[in-house]
Amino acid sequence: MLAWKQFPQMFAAHLKITFREKAVWFWNIFFPVILMVLFTIIFGGNANEFKAQVAVADTRPTEASAQLLDQLRQLPGLKIRGEGPVTPEEGRQLVLDKKVFALIELPSEEDPAVRLVIHRENERNITAQALAGMLEQFVQQANYAALGAEPVFRLDVETVTTGGDELKFQDYLMTGMIALSLAQSGLFGMVGLVEMRRKGVLRRLRLTPASTAMFGIADMAVRFVLGVLQITLLTAVGVFGFGAKLQLHLVSLAVAFFVGVLAFNAIGYLFSAVSKSQEAYMALANIASFLMMFISGVFFPVDSLPEWLQPLARVLPLTYFVDGIRDGMVYARGIADASFWIAVAVMAAWGILAFLIGARLYKAKSIAAAR
Amino acid sequence: MPVLEVRRLRKTFGAVTAVSDISFSVERGEVFTIIGPNGAGKTTTLEMIEGLLVPDAGEISFGGLTWEKDAHAIREMIGVQPQSGALFDLLTVEEHLRLFASFYRKSRPVEEILEMINLQDHRNKRVKVLSGGQRQRLAIGLAMINDPDLIFLDEPTTGLDPQARLNIWDIILRLKEMGKTTILTTHYMEEAEKLSDRVCIVDQGAVVALDTPAALIGRLTKEREIRLGFEDGEAAAREAEELLRRLGNITRMEREAGQLRIWTDRPEAALHGLFGFTQEQGYRVERLSIREMSLEDVFIAFTGKEWRD
Repeated sequence: MLAWKQFPQMFAAHLKITFREKAVWFWNIFFPVILMVLFTIIFGGNANEFKAQVAVADTRPTEASAQLLDQLRQLPGLKIRGEGPVTPEEGRQLVLDKKVFALIELPSEEDPAVRLVIHRENERNITAQALAGMLEQFVQQANYAALGAEPVFRLDVETVTTGGDELKFQDYLMTGMIALSLAQSGLFGMVGLVEMRRKGVLRRLRLTPASTAMFGIADMAVRFVLGVLQITLLTAVGVFGFGAKLQLHLVSLAVAFFVGVLAFNAIGYLFSAVSKSQEAYMALANIASFLMMFISGVFFPVDSLPEWLQPLARVLPLTYFVDGIRDGMVYARGIADASFWIAVAVMAAWGILAFLIGARLYKAKSIAAAR
Repeated sequence: MPVLEVRRLRKTFGAVTAVSDISFSVERGEVFTIIGPNGAGKTTTLEMIEGLLVPDAGEISFGGLTWEKDAHAIREMIGVQPQSGALFDLLTVEEHLRLFASFYRKSRPVEEILEMINLQDHRNKRVKVLSGGQRQRLAIGLAMINDPDLIFLDEPTTGLDPQARLNIWDIILRLKEMGKTTILTTHYMEEAEKLSDRVCIVDQGAVVALDTPAALIGRLTKEREIRLGFEDGEAAAREAEELLRRLGNITRMEREAGQLRIWTDRPEAALHGLFGFTQEQGYRVERLSIREMSLEDVFIAFTGKEWRD
């Protein structure tokens, strides 16, 4: 029998306990926003906004090298250091001192190579690859021109998505971050329960006619309030701060949100059942959080992971939560889609399993038999 | 009909027998105190009565109600202040009282409780910033919120300063005036002696004595200890010792320099003889005291253990 009469006061108490805790404000509100801003700036940089300062060495200027230099000057985003060309030695030193991003050695009669000199730490940098790509094109164009030939094939790159043409990487990242924040709130959020048990508060409730189930339901209701707050805030930051575009499908979003939040809180509940102290709980939550953060498709697609890691990603609940939130927020698909329901089912399975094991452990640990 | 009746309670944890055989009954309106050395089974007994533990054997009846059949009704009619505070750090005094009031079908007005536990001025303070005594008073307030017939106070004054202890004594005495039944455990002798109608001494999982404090003390021998100090030093003390030995009725004597300790069943006769002797000899008595037997002596007599472990 559930005593709904007790719900309002219990909800009010949980609301106060949650929002009076400074750590909740930091970890659940400010931290996710900061994290989202940082990650969007780091990973979400637009490839079109190419920017680099380079030095140019032109040992023996020829007509071809002058032409190339002229074309380089017209390239948007590319800034050439100083007035005129430098010697290759000076240029290399500038690269080593990190005064410029790269040195471009123009070709001469004796040496037809166009050379791009980059600091080794930038070897795999996007800017370096973009720069190499551009020079490659120049060289090719120059080759065609030298041979007097016209290219037969050309490459057109086009991206597709169910989320409409304007879906950008920012949107992908924003939804990933929202799912991650909600998941972390669940994983870390049950730490209060460890403290309540340690202090005997849960025992104290068993001495009254209070329903512990209702106490848990009221707690969960507050967590949903917190979750709605998070998703609203992070979406606002994404949309207004980084120009993310939404393609909402509210029903799918609501289903994914509801099941996902429950599942991750259930996992947190299981952690609280096996932790004797707050420290032990935090260690568990941290392991789970880090394990999932990078292999669940939050920042980059699961398919780009090494082969051997992919099966793991396919069983972790965060992978499915991220998918579910994306379906509801930017892909505008969901309830009509089988993969959406698979995602919901996997999350639900995790949630139910974690809750049942947790509840069993709690029962076994409490000395009293249930009455 | 007693408010609470406990018969032949037994509880073991693995190979350890925490409670072997405990029976007692508590009448309406009394302060019933359970004392005993650590590990005597007090806490286990209380937890079984409060419904936190299921006994291996024995019966617990709250005026006919039992945990098996009437758990909900029993929780409605009892109030418990557990040994550990068990409060929410981030809720205020008043919020605690309102939350707990919502658990019960009937409850006393929050204002009344605040007045009784004298926390009106601190009603909006969070538990985090309350002193130990204030927390303890709040815990007692929560135990009273449902206007219970039977209140359990588990070591309510442990770790408190003397003033805070007196405050809690006042609350217990007021509960008694209101006709409530209180079951108390304590580590403080004078508390048990002053507040209790009856004291139940528990040792090794069984009741070793149960009566009013006065009757328990009366059950001990009539022996009293007299302490005497002579200004005239060792010689006077030695003479007095010889005199008393001739008088008889002395159980035991100890002398150390000018100090004399005498144990006797008839203190008035011993003192009479002593004073006749000192007057005659012109000896001056420096110090004189007669120690009354207290509950502490009862405790030691019954359990063979010091009060404070």
